[in-house]
Amino acid sequence: MVEVTETGRSGVVPVHPDVFAGELEGEPQLVGSRCRQCGARFFPRRGVCARCLSAEVEVVPLGRVGTLHTYTVVYQSTPEFPTPYILAYVDLPEGVRLLAPLAGVPVDQVRIGMPLRLQVEPLRTDAAGRTVLGYRLYAHGGGA
Amino acid sequence: MSDVYVVGIGMTKFGKHPDRTVVDLGSEAVREAIRDAEVDPRRIEAAYCGHVFQGMVAGQRVLAQTGLAGIPLTNVEDACSSGAVAIREAALAIRAGEHDVVLAFGMEHLTGRFRGALTPAEDDLEAAVGLTMPAIYAMRARRHMEEFGTTRRQLALVSVKNKRNASLNPLSQFQTPVSVEEVLASRPIAEPLCLYDCSPVSDGAAAVVLCSARWLRQLTRSQRPIRLAAAALRSGEVESGLPSMAFEPLTRRTAEAAYEQAGLGPEEIDLAEVHDCFSIAEVLRVEGLGLFPVGEYPDRLERGEADIGGRLPINPSGGLLGKGHPLGATGVAQVVEVVRQLRGQAGPRQVAGARVGLAHCRGGKAAGVEGAACTVNILAA
Ligand SMILES: [Zn+2]
Repeated sequence: MVEVTETGRSGVVPVHPDVFAGELEGEPQLVGSRCRQCGARFFPRRGVCARCLSAEVEVVPLGRVGTLHTYTVVYQSTPEFPTPYILAYVDLPEGVRLLAPLAGVPVDQVRIGMPLRLQVEPLRTDAAGRTVLGYRLYAHGGGA
Repeated sequence: MSDVYVVGIGMTKFGKHPDRTVVDLGSEAVREAIRDAEVDPRRIEAAYCGHVFQGMVAGQRVLAQTGLAGIPLTNVEDACSSGAVAIREAALAIRAGEHDVVLAFGMEHLTGRFRGALTPAEDDLEAAVGLTMPAIYAMRARRHMEEFGTTRRQLALVSVKNKRNASLNPLSQFQTPVSVEEVLASRPIAEPLCLYDCSPVSDGAAAVVLCSARWLRQLTRSQRPIRLAAAALRSGEVESGLPSMAFEPLTRRTAEAAYEQAGLGPEEIDLAEVHDCFSIAEVLRVEGLGLFPVGEYPDRLERGEADIGGRLPINPSGGLLGKGHPLGATGVAQVVEVVRQLRGQAGPRQVAGARVGLAHCRGGKAAGVEGAACTVNILAA
Protein backbone atom coordinates (compact mmCIF):
# COMPACT_ATOMS: atom_id res chain seq x y z
CA MET A 1 0.00 0.00 0.00
CA VAL A 2 1.41 3.35 -1.00
CA GLU A 3 0.73 6.37 1.13
CA VAL A 4 -0.05 9.32 -1.07
CA THR A 5 1.07 12.49 0.64
CA GLU A 6 2.70 14.42 -2.16
CA THR A 7 2.09 15.36 -5.72
CA GLY A 8 1.39 12.38 -7.92
CA ARG A 9 3.39 11.94 -11.11
CA SER A 10 0.54 13.26 -13.20
CA GLY A 11 0.10 16.49 -11.23
CA VAL A 12 -2.70 15.12 -9.11
CA VAL A 13 -2.91 15.93 -5.40
CA PRO A 14 -5.29 14.42 -2.86
CA VAL A 15 -7.75 16.78 -1.17
CA HIS A 16 -6.13 15.68 2.11
CA PRO A 17 -3.10 13.40 2.72
CA ASP A 18 -5.00 10.93 4.95
CA VAL A 19 -8.04 9.97 2.91
CA PHE A 20 -6.80 7.71 0.09
CA ALA A 21 -4.74 4.54 -0.12
CA GLY A 22 -3.17 3.43 -3.39
CA GLU A 23 -1.86 5.15 -6.49
CA LEU A 24 -3.78 8.23 -7.51
CA GLU A 25 -3.35 7.26 -11.18
CA GLY A 26 -4.99 3.92 -10.55
CA GLU A 27 -8.18 3.40 -8.59
CA PRO A 28 -7.73 5.35 -5.34
CA GLN A 29 -9.50 3.79 -2.39
CA LEU A 30 -11.09 5.92 0.34
CA VAL A 31 -9.93 4.66 3.70
CA GLY A 32 -10.60 5.14 7.40
CA SER A 33 -9.13 3.33 10.36
CA ARG A 34 -10.30 0.80 12.94
CA CYS A 35 -8.73 0.11 16.34
CA ARG A 36 -7.88 -3.58 16.78
CA GLN A 37 -8.09 -3.21 20.57
CA CYS A 38 -11.42 -1.44 21.11
CA GLY A 39 -13.02 -1.39 17.69
CA ALA A 40 -13.34 2.41 17.44
CA ARG A 41 -13.51 3.71 13.88
CA PHE A 42 -12.16 6.99 12.55
CA PHE A 43 -12.19 9.12 9.44
CA PRO A 44 -9.79 10.51 8.42
CA ARG A 45 -7.50 7.68 9.46
CA ARG A 46 -5.35 7.93 12.59
CA GLY A 47 -2.12 6.28 13.70
CA VAL A 48 -3.19 5.92 17.34
CA CYS A 49 -6.67 5.19 18.68
CA ALA A 50 -8.14 8.31 20.27
CA ARG A 51 -10.38 6.24 22.52
CA CYS A 52 -7.98 3.66 24.06
CA LEU A 53 -4.59 5.03 22.86
CA SER A 54 -3.68 1.70 21.25
CA ALA A 55 -1.27 1.95 18.32
CA GLU A 56 -2.79 -1.21 16.83
CA VAL A 57 -4.89 0.67 14.36
CA GLU A 58 -5.56 -0.80 10.94
CA VAL A 59 -6.41 1.02 7.74
CA VAL A 60 -9.77 -0.14 6.43
CA PRO A 61 -11.30 0.56 3.03
CA LEU A 62 -14.59 2.44 3.10
CA GLY A 63 -17.63 1.34 1.15
CA ARG A 64 -19.20 3.56 -1.45
CA VAL A 65 -22.82 3.56 -0.34
CA GLY A 66 -24.34 5.19 2.75
CA THR A 67 -27.23 7.34 3.97
CA LEU A 68 -27.58 11.09 4.19
CA HIS A 69 -27.34 12.31 7.80
CA THR A 70 -27.74 16.04 7.24
CA TYR A 71 -27.07 18.65 4.56
CA THR A 72 -27.01 22.35 3.71
CA VAL A 73 -26.98 24.54 0.65
CA VAL A 74 -24.03 26.92 0.93
CA TYR A 75 -24.68 30.39 -0.50
CA GLN A 76 -21.63 32.18 0.88
CA SER A 77 -18.14 30.71 0.74
CA THR A 78 -14.54 31.37 -0.22
CA PRO A 79 -13.59 32.14 -3.85
CA GLU A 80 -12.41 28.61 -4.75
CA PHE A 81 -15.91 27.26 -4.06
CA PRO A 82 -18.46 28.78 -6.48
CA THR A 83 -21.90 29.04 -4.84
CA PRO A 84 -24.47 27.71 -4.40
CA TYR A 85 -23.43 24.15 -3.63
CA ILE A 86 -24.80 21.34 -1.49
CA LEU A 87 -22.73 19.77 1.30
CA ALA A 88 -23.84 16.59 3.04
CA TYR A 89 -22.68 14.27 5.79
CA VAL A 90 -23.05 10.64 4.76
CA ASP A 91 -23.08 7.76 7.26
CA LEU A 92 -21.22 4.76 5.86
CA PRO A 93 -21.90 1.17 6.97
CA GLU A 94 -18.34 0.99 8.35
CA GLY A 95 -19.55 3.32 11.11
CA VAL A 96 -17.91 6.52 9.90
CA ARG A 97 -19.47 9.81 8.86
CA LEU A 98 -17.86 11.98 6.22
CA LEU A 99 -18.55 15.32 4.60
CA ALA A 100 -18.65 15.75 0.83
CA PRO A 101 -20.25 17.85 -1.88
CA LEU A 102 -23.55 16.40 -3.12
CA ALA A 103 -24.06 16.57 -6.87
CA GLY A 104 -26.75 15.72 -9.39
CA VAL A 105 -29.72 15.95 -7.00
CA PRO A 106 -32.11 18.93 -7.18
CA VAL A 107 -32.20 20.71 -3.81
CA ASP A 108 -35.90 20.07 -3.31
CA GLN A 109 -35.32 16.32 -3.65
CA VAL A 110 -32.58 16.08 -0.99
CA ARG A 111 -33.85 14.17 2.07
CA ILE A 112 -32.32 13.02 5.36
CA GLY A 113 -31.95 9.25 5.17
CA MET A 114 -31.75 9.02 1.38
CA PRO A 115 -29.20 6.51 -0.01
CA LEU A 116 -26.06 8.10 -1.43
CA ARG A 117 -23.09 6.83 -3.40
CA LEU A 118 -19.55 8.17 -2.99
CA GLN A 119 -17.53 8.70 -6.15
CA VAL A 120 -13.82 9.50 -6.22
CA GLU A 121 -13.24 12.28 -8.74
CA PRO A 122 -11.39 15.57 -9.35
CA LEU A 123 -12.83 18.47 -7.37
CA ARG A 124 -10.98 21.45 -8.80
CA THR A 125 -7.60 22.76 -9.96
CA ASP A 126 -5.34 24.28 -7.32
CA ALA A 127 -3.28 27.48 -7.58
CA ALA A 128 -0.31 25.48 -8.96
CA GLY A 129 -2.47 24.03 -11.74
CA ARG A 130 -2.68 20.57 -10.19
CA THR A 131 -5.83 18.49 -10.12
CA VAL A 132 -7.25 18.16 -6.60
CA LEU A 133 -8.62 14.63 -6.26
CA GLY A 134 -11.49 14.22 -3.80
CA TYR A 135 -14.94 12.70 -3.76
CA ARG A 136 -18.54 13.67 -4.34
CA LEU A 137 -21.87 12.19 -3.33
CA TYR A 138 -24.61 11.19 -5.79
CA ALA A 139 -28.07 9.74 -5.31
CA HIS A 140 -27.93 5.95 -5.18
CA GLY A 141 -30.41 3.38 -6.39
CA GLY A 142 -33.94 4.19 -7.48
CA GLY A 143 -33.36 7.90 -7.86
CA ALA A 144 -33.42 10.88 -5.56
CA MET B 1 -6.64 28.50 47.01
CA SER B 2 -7.82 32.09 47.03
CA ASP B 3 -11.25 33.13 45.88
CA VAL B 4 -11.12 35.36 42.81
CA TYR B 5 -13.19 38.53 42.38
CA VAL B 6 -14.02 40.76 39.43
CA VAL B 7 -13.56 44.34 40.59
CA GLY B 8 -13.38 46.27 37.32
CA ILE B 9 -15.08 46.03 33.92
CA GLY B 10 -14.66 47.92 30.65
CA MET B 11 -15.91 47.51 27.11
CA THR B 12 -15.92 49.47 23.86
CA LYS B 13 -18.96 49.74 21.66
CA PHE B 14 -19.02 46.70 19.40
CA GLY B 15 -19.51 47.28 15.69
CA LYS B 16 -17.65 48.49 12.61
CA HIS B 17 -14.72 50.68 13.55
CA PRO B 18 -12.86 51.03 10.24
CA ASP B 19 -10.96 54.11 11.42
CA ARG B 20 -9.71 52.63 14.69
CA THR B 21 -6.94 50.12 15.38
CA VAL B 22 -7.19 47.07 17.57
CA VAL B 23 -4.69 48.65 19.98
CA ASP B 24 -6.89 51.72 20.22
CA LEU B 25 -9.95 49.59 21.03
CA GLY B 26 -8.08 47.36 23.47
CA SER B 27 -6.62 50.38 25.28
CA GLU B 28 -10.04 51.98 25.70
CA ALA B 29 -11.48 48.85 27.31
CA VAL B 30 -8.44 48.36 29.56
CA ARG B 31 -8.41 51.98 30.74
CA GLU B 32 -12.12 51.78 31.55
CA ALA B 33 -11.72 48.54 33.53
CA ILE B 34 -8.86 50.02 35.56
CA ARG B 35 -10.89 53.17 36.26
CA ASP B 36 -13.92 51.07 37.24
CA ALA B 37 -11.75 49.01 39.61
CA GLU B 38 -10.45 52.21 41.23
CA VAL B 39 -6.97 50.73 41.12
CA ASP B 40 -3.63 52.41 40.44
CA PRO B 41 -2.38 50.85 37.16
CA ARG B 42 0.96 50.25 38.89
CA ARG B 43 -0.77 47.76 41.21
CA ILE B 44 -1.67 45.45 38.29
CA GLU B 45 0.83 42.61 38.36
CA ALA B 46 0.11 40.62 35.20
CA ALA B 47 -2.10 40.57 32.13
CA TYR B 48 -3.65 38.05 29.74
CA CYS B 49 -4.90 39.07 26.30
CA GLY B 50 -7.24 36.99 24.12
CA HIS B 51 -7.27 37.59 20.35
CA VAL B 52 -7.37 35.46 17.22
CA PHE B 53 -6.26 37.36 14.11
CA GLN B 54 -4.38 40.39 15.50
CA GLY B 55 -0.83 39.18 14.92
CA MET B 56 2.14 38.69 17.18
CA VAL B 57 2.28 40.30 20.64
CA ALA B 58 -0.88 42.32 20.15
CA GLY B 59 -1.44 42.38 23.91
CA GLN B 60 1.91 44.02 24.62
CA ARG B 61 1.04 46.81 22.20
CA VAL B 62 -1.93 47.66 24.44
CA LEU B 63 0.18 47.65 27.62
CA ALA B 64 2.33 50.40 26.18
CA GLN B 65 -0.77 52.60 25.73
CA THR B 66 -2.23 52.05 29.19
CA GLY B 67 0.62 52.63 31.65
CA LEU B 68 1.14 48.90 32.12
CA ALA B 69 4.32 48.27 30.10
CA GLY B 70 6.74 45.93 31.82
CA ILE B 71 4.40 43.48 33.54
CA PRO B 72 4.17 39.85 32.38
CA LEU B 73 1.65 39.47 29.56
CA THR B 74 0.47 36.26 27.90
CA ASN B 75 -1.31 36.35 24.54
CA VAL B 76 -4.01 33.67 24.40
CA GLU B 77 -5.54 32.10 21.28
CA ASP B 78 -8.41 29.58 21.50
CA ALA B 79 -10.56 30.82 18.61
CA CYS B 80 -13.87 32.30 19.85
CA SER B 81 -13.05 31.21 23.42
CA SER B 82 -9.81 33.25 23.54
CA GLY B 83 -11.10 36.00 25.83
CA ALA B 84 -12.76 33.58 28.22
CA VAL B 85 -9.56 31.54 28.38
CA ALA B 86 -7.61 34.75 29.19
CA ILE B 87 -9.92 35.24 32.19
CA ARG B 88 -9.37 31.66 33.30
CA GLU B 89 -5.59 32.04 33.05
CA ALA B 90 -5.76 35.22 35.14
CA ALA B 91 -7.89 33.44 37.75
CA LEU B 92 -5.46 30.51 37.88
CA ALA B 93 -2.55 32.89 38.51
CA ILE B 94 -4.45 34.41 41.44
CA ARG B 95 -5.55 31.04 42.82
CA ALA B 96 -1.98 29.80 42.63
CA GLY B 97 -0.89 32.72 44.82
CA GLU B 98 1.41 34.09 42.15
CA HIS B 99 -0.46 37.39 41.71
CA ASP B 100 -3.08 39.45 43.56
CA VAL B 101 -4.30 41.85 40.88
CA VAL B 102 -4.51 40.70 37.26
CA LEU B 103 -5.94 42.18 34.08
CA ALA B 104 -7.69 40.02 31.48
CA PHE B 105 -8.80 41.50 28.20
CA GLY B 106 -9.88 40.46 24.73
CA MET B 107 -9.95 42.34 21.45
CA GLU B 108 -10.43 41.91 17.73
CA HIS B 109 -10.52 44.09 14.65
CA LEU B 110 -12.16 42.19 11.79
CA THR B 111 -13.46 44.98 9.53
CA GLY B 112 -11.53 44.79 6.28
CA ARG B 113 -10.06 41.44 7.25
CA PHE B 114 -13.11 39.25 6.57
CA ARG B 115 -16.06 39.93 4.34
CA GLY B 116 -17.92 36.66 4.32
CA ALA B 117 -18.09 33.42 6.22
CA LEU B 118 -15.24 32.34 8.44
CA THR B 119 -13.81 28.93 7.56
CA PRO B 120 -11.83 26.38 9.57
CA ALA B 121 -8.01 26.35 9.17
CA GLU B 122 -7.20 25.87 5.48
CA ASP B 123 -5.38 22.54 5.91
CA ASP B 124 -8.50 21.07 7.53
CA LEU B 125 -10.05 18.19 5.55
CA GLU B 126 -13.60 19.49 5.85
CA ALA B 127 -12.55 23.02 4.84
CA ALA B 128 -10.91 21.45 1.79
CA VAL B 129 -14.28 20.15 0.58
CA GLY B 130 -15.99 23.51 1.10
CA LEU B 131 -17.11 23.60 4.73
CA THR B 132 -17.75 27.03 6.24
CA MET B 133 -18.69 27.84 9.84
CA PRO B 134 -22.30 28.74 8.91
CA ALA B 135 -22.55 25.44 6.99
CA ILE B 136 -21.62 23.40 10.08
CA TYR B 137 -24.33 25.11 12.10
CA ALA B 138 -26.84 24.86 9.26
CA MET B 139 -26.36 21.10 9.17
CA ARG B 140 -26.71 20.88 12.94
CA ALA B 141 -29.87 23.00 12.74
CA ARG B 142 -31.34 20.56 10.25
CA ARG B 143 -30.63 17.67 12.64
CA HIS B 144 -32.28 19.53 15.54
CA MET B 145 -35.32 20.11 13.34
CA GLU B 146 -35.35 16.43 12.31
CA GLU B 147 -34.91 14.98 15.83
CA PHE B 148 -36.97 17.40 17.94
CA GLY B 149 -39.44 19.00 15.54
CA THR B 150 -37.80 22.42 15.88
CA THR B 151 -39.21 24.84 13.31
CA ARG B 152 -37.51 27.41 11.12
CA ARG B 153 -39.64 30.08 12.77
CA GLN B 154 -38.47 29.03 16.25
CA LEU B 155 -34.84 29.42 15.17
CA ALA B 156 -35.66 32.92 13.93
CA LEU B 157 -37.06 33.74 17.38
CA VAL B 158 -33.55 33.41 18.83
CA SER B 159 -32.37 36.26 16.60
CA VAL B 160 -35.52 38.27 17.30
CA LYS B 161 -35.01 37.99 21.08
CA ASN B 162 -31.30 38.77 20.98
CA LYS B 163 -31.61 41.75 18.65
CA ARG B 164 -34.42 43.07 20.85
CA ASN B 165 -32.13 42.76 23.91
CA ALA B 166 -29.32 44.39 21.93
CA SER B 167 -31.54 47.40 21.27
CA LEU B 168 -31.52 47.95 25.06
CA ASN B 169 -27.69 47.88 25.16
CA PRO B 170 -25.95 51.07 23.99
CA LEU B 171 -22.70 49.13 23.33
CA SER B 172 -24.36 46.70 20.89
CA GLN B 173 -23.62 46.59 17.18
CA PHE B 174 -27.35 46.29 16.36
CA GLN B 175 -29.63 48.90 17.89
CA THR B 176 -32.85 48.02 16.07
CA PRO B 177 -35.15 45.05 16.78
CA VAL B 178 -36.11 42.76 13.88
CA SER B 179 -39.25 40.71 13.24
CA VAL B 180 -39.48 36.99 12.49
CA GLU B 181 -40.49 37.91 8.95
CA GLU B 182 -37.36 40.05 8.51
CA VAL B 183 -35.13 37.19 9.72
CA LEU B 184 -36.78 34.73 7.32
CA ALA B 185 -36.56 37.21 4.43
CA SER B 186 -32.87 37.99 4.94
CA ARG B 187 -30.46 36.57 2.37
CA PRO B 188 -29.67 32.83 2.61
CA ILE B 189 -26.16 32.04 3.92
CA ALA B 190 -26.27 28.27 4.42
CA GLU B 191 -29.73 26.77 4.24
CA PRO B 192 -31.71 26.84 6.54
CA LEU B 193 -29.74 29.75 8.05
CA CYS B 194 -30.15 33.29 6.72
CA LEU B 195 -28.08 36.41 7.28
CA TYR B 196 -29.93 37.39 10.48
CA ASP B 197 -29.30 33.92 11.92
CA CYS B 198 -25.55 34.68 11.83
CA SER B 199 -23.45 36.84 14.12
CA PRO B 200 -21.89 39.79 12.28
CA VAL B 201 -18.30 40.75 11.50
CA SER B 202 -17.38 43.03 14.42
CA ASP B 203 -14.61 45.10 15.98
CA GLY B 204 -14.35 45.70 19.69
CA ALA B 205 -12.64 45.02 23.00
CA ALA B 206 -13.52 44.22 26.60
CA ALA B 207 -11.51 44.01 29.81
CA VAL B 208 -11.84 42.92 33.44
CA VAL B 209 -9.67 43.44 36.53
CA LEU B 210 -9.51 40.40 38.79
CA CYS B 211 -8.12 40.24 42.32
CA SER B 212 -7.58 37.90 45.25
CA ALA B 213 -9.66 37.86 48.44
CA ARG B 214 -6.61 39.05 50.38
CA TRP B 215 -6.22 42.12 48.18
CA LEU B 216 -9.95 42.82 48.18
CA ARG B 217 -9.93 43.17 51.99
CA GLN B 218 -7.35 45.95 51.77
CA LEU B 219 -9.66 48.14 49.73
CA THR B 220 -12.58 50.38 50.25
CA ARG B 221 -14.42 50.32 46.98
CA SER B 222 -17.66 51.77 45.70
CA GLN B 223 -18.56 48.82 43.42
CA ARG B 224 -19.82 45.52 44.77
CA PRO B 225 -17.18 42.85 44.07
CA ILE B 226 -18.45 39.86 42.08
CA ARG B 227 -16.92 36.45 42.80
CA LEU B 228 -15.69 34.30 39.91
CA ALA B 229 -17.08 31.04 41.27
CA ALA B 230 -15.90 28.83 38.40
CA ALA B 231 -13.68 29.07 35.34
CA ALA B 232 -13.79 25.79 33.41
CA LEU B 233 -12.09 24.96 30.10
CA ARG B 234 -12.27 21.78 28.03
CA SER B 235 -11.09 20.78 24.56
CA GLY B 236 -13.09 18.72 22.11
CA GLU B 237 -12.56 14.97 22.07
CA VAL B 238 -11.87 12.99 18.93
CA GLU B 239 -15.14 11.74 17.53
CA SER B 240 -15.54 8.16 16.44
CA GLY B 241 -18.57 6.47 15.03
CA LEU B 242 -21.76 8.40 14.39
CA PRO B 243 -22.28 10.96 17.19
CA SER B 244 -25.37 13.14 17.53
CA MET B 245 -25.09 16.50 15.77
CA ALA B 246 -28.03 17.94 17.74
CA PHE B 247 -26.39 17.82 21.17
CA GLU B 248 -23.02 19.11 22.47
CA PRO B 249 -21.15 16.71 24.78
CA LEU B 250 -18.27 19.23 24.91
CA THR B 251 -20.54 21.95 26.32
CA ARG B 252 -22.06 19.43 28.75
CA ARG B 253 -18.65 18.27 30.05
CA THR B 254 -17.39 21.84 30.48
CA ALA B 255 -20.58 22.85 32.28
CA GLU B 256 -20.36 19.87 34.66
CA ALA B 257 -16.80 20.90 35.56
CA ALA B 258 -17.94 24.49 36.18
CA TYR B 259 -20.96 23.51 38.29
CA GLU B 260 -18.71 21.29 40.40
CA GLN B 261 -16.16 24.10 40.91
CA ALA B 262 -18.89 26.54 41.87
CA GLY B 263 -20.72 24.05 44.07
CA LEU B 264 -24.06 24.72 42.43
CA GLY B 265 -26.26 23.39 39.66
CA PRO B 266 -27.95 24.74 36.54
CA GLU B 267 -31.18 25.35 38.49
CA GLU B 268 -29.41 28.08 40.48
CA ILE B 269 -28.40 30.14 37.42
CA ASP B 270 -30.38 33.41 37.15
CA LEU B 271 -29.15 34.47 33.70
CA ALA B 272 -26.74 33.20 31.06
CA GLU B 273 -24.68 34.69 28.27
CA VAL B 274 -24.12 31.83 25.80
CA HIS B 275 -22.20 31.56 22.54
CA ASP B 276 -24.95 32.29 20.00
CA CYS B 277 -22.68 32.66 16.97
CA PHE B 278 -25.73 31.39 15.03
CA SER B 279 -29.40 31.13 16.06
CA ILE B 280 -29.19 27.33 16.30
CA ALA B 281 -26.04 27.68 18.42
CA GLU B 282 -28.01 29.22 21.31
CA VAL B 283 -30.33 26.20 21.24
CA LEU B 284 -27.42 23.72 21.33
CA ARG B 285 -25.67 25.70 24.09
CA VAL B 286 -28.50 26.10 26.60
CA GLU B 287 -29.47 22.44 26.15
CA GLY B 288 -25.82 21.36 26.49
CA LEU B 289 -25.45 23.50 29.63
CA GLY B 290 -28.45 21.77 31.20
CA LEU B 291 -30.27 25.11 31.51
CA PHE B 292 -33.19 23.73 29.47
CA PRO B 293 -34.11 20.06 28.77
CA VAL B 294 -32.60 18.64 25.57
CA GLY B 295 -34.89 19.25 22.62
CA GLU B 296 -37.24 21.60 24.50
CA TYR B 297 -35.57 25.00 24.24
CA PRO B 298 -37.29 26.11 21.01
CA ASP B 299 -40.76 25.59 22.53
CA ARG B 300 -39.79 27.28 25.78
CA LEU B 301 -38.18 30.17 23.95
CA GLU B 302 -41.43 30.60 22.05
CA ARG B 303 -43.27 30.78 25.40
CA GLY B 304 -40.99 33.61 26.56
CA GLU B 305 -39.01 31.66 29.18
CA ALA B 306 -35.66 33.00 27.87
CA ASP B 307 -36.76 36.65 27.67
CA ILE B 308 -35.61 39.30 30.12
CA GLY B 309 -38.35 38.86 32.71
CA GLY B 310 -38.79 35.17 31.80
CA ARG B 311 -37.84 32.12 33.87
CA LEU B 312 -34.18 32.15 32.75
CA PRO B 313 -33.06 35.09 30.58
CA ILE B 314 -30.58 34.03 27.90
CA ASN B 315 -28.24 36.60 26.36
CA PRO B 316 -29.75 39.72 27.94
CA SER B 317 -26.81 41.73 26.50
CA GLY B 318 -27.98 40.92 22.97
CA GLY B 319 -25.58 38.01 22.60
CA LEU B 320 -23.27 37.57 19.66
CA LEU B 321 -26.23 37.93 17.28
CA GLY B 322 -27.16 41.36 18.59
CA LYS B 323 -24.22 42.79 20.46
CA GLY B 324 -21.68 41.60 17.88
CA HIS B 325 -18.86 39.06 17.83
CA PRO B 326 -15.32 40.47 17.81
CA LEU B 327 -13.85 37.00 18.40
CA GLY B 328 -11.19 37.60 21.06
CA ALA B 329 -13.35 40.15 22.90
CA THR B 330 -16.48 38.00 23.08
CA GLY B 331 -15.71 35.88 26.15
CA VAL B 332 -14.62 38.91 28.15
CA ALA B 333 -17.66 40.94 27.07
CA GLN B 334 -19.94 38.13 28.27
CA VAL B 335 -18.36 38.36 31.74
CA VAL B 336 -18.64 42.16 31.64
CA GLU B 337 -22.40 41.76 31.05
CA VAL B 338 -22.84 39.18 33.81
CA VAL B 339 -20.99 41.45 36.26
CA ARG B 340 -23.15 44.43 35.24
CA GLN B 341 -26.28 42.32 35.80
CA LEU B 342 -25.09 41.05 39.21
CA ARG B 343 -24.21 44.60 40.26
CA GLY B 344 -27.71 45.70 39.24
CA GLN B 345 -26.33 48.16 36.67
CA ALA B 346 -27.84 46.79 33.45
CA GLY B 347 -30.44 49.53 33.06
CA PRO B 348 -33.45 48.69 30.88
CA ARG B 349 -32.22 45.11 30.32
CA GLN B 350 -31.67 44.40 34.04
CA VAL B 351 -32.63 40.88 35.14
CA ALA B 352 -34.44 41.49 38.44
CA GLY B 353 -32.79 39.97 41.49
CA ALA B 354 -29.95 38.27 39.60
CA ARG B 355 -27.47 36.62 42.01
CA VAL B 356 -25.71 33.99 39.87
CA GLY B 357 -24.79 34.29 36.19
CA LEU B 358 -23.08 32.03 33.67
CA ALA B 359 -20.99 32.81 30.58
CA HIS B 360 -20.34 30.15 27.92
CA CYS B 361 -18.02 30.29 24.91
CA ARG B 362 -17.18 27.72 22.35
CA GLY B 363 -14.57 28.19 19.68
CA GLY B 364 -12.98 26.52 16.71
CA LYS B 365 -13.56 23.49 14.52
CA ALA B 366 -11.35 20.73 13.24
CA ALA B 367 -12.32 17.67 11.22
CA GLY B 368 -12.77 14.63 13.44
CA VAL B 369 -13.13 16.45 16.76
CA GLU B 370 -16.38 17.64 18.29
CA GLY B 371 -15.16 21.25 18.63
CA ALA B 372 -11.91 22.90 19.67
CA ALA B 373 -12.27 24.87 22.92
CA CYS B 374 -15.15 25.40 25.34
CA THR B 375 -15.32 27.59 28.45
CA VAL B 376 -17.88 28.13 31.20
CA ASN B 377 -17.37 30.96 33.70
CA ILE B 378 -19.80 31.28 36.62
CA LEU B 379 -20.09 34.50 38.63
CA ALA B 380 -21.87 35.10 41.92
CA ALA B 381 -22.89 38.32 43.68
ZN1 LIG C 1 -9.00 1.82 20.62
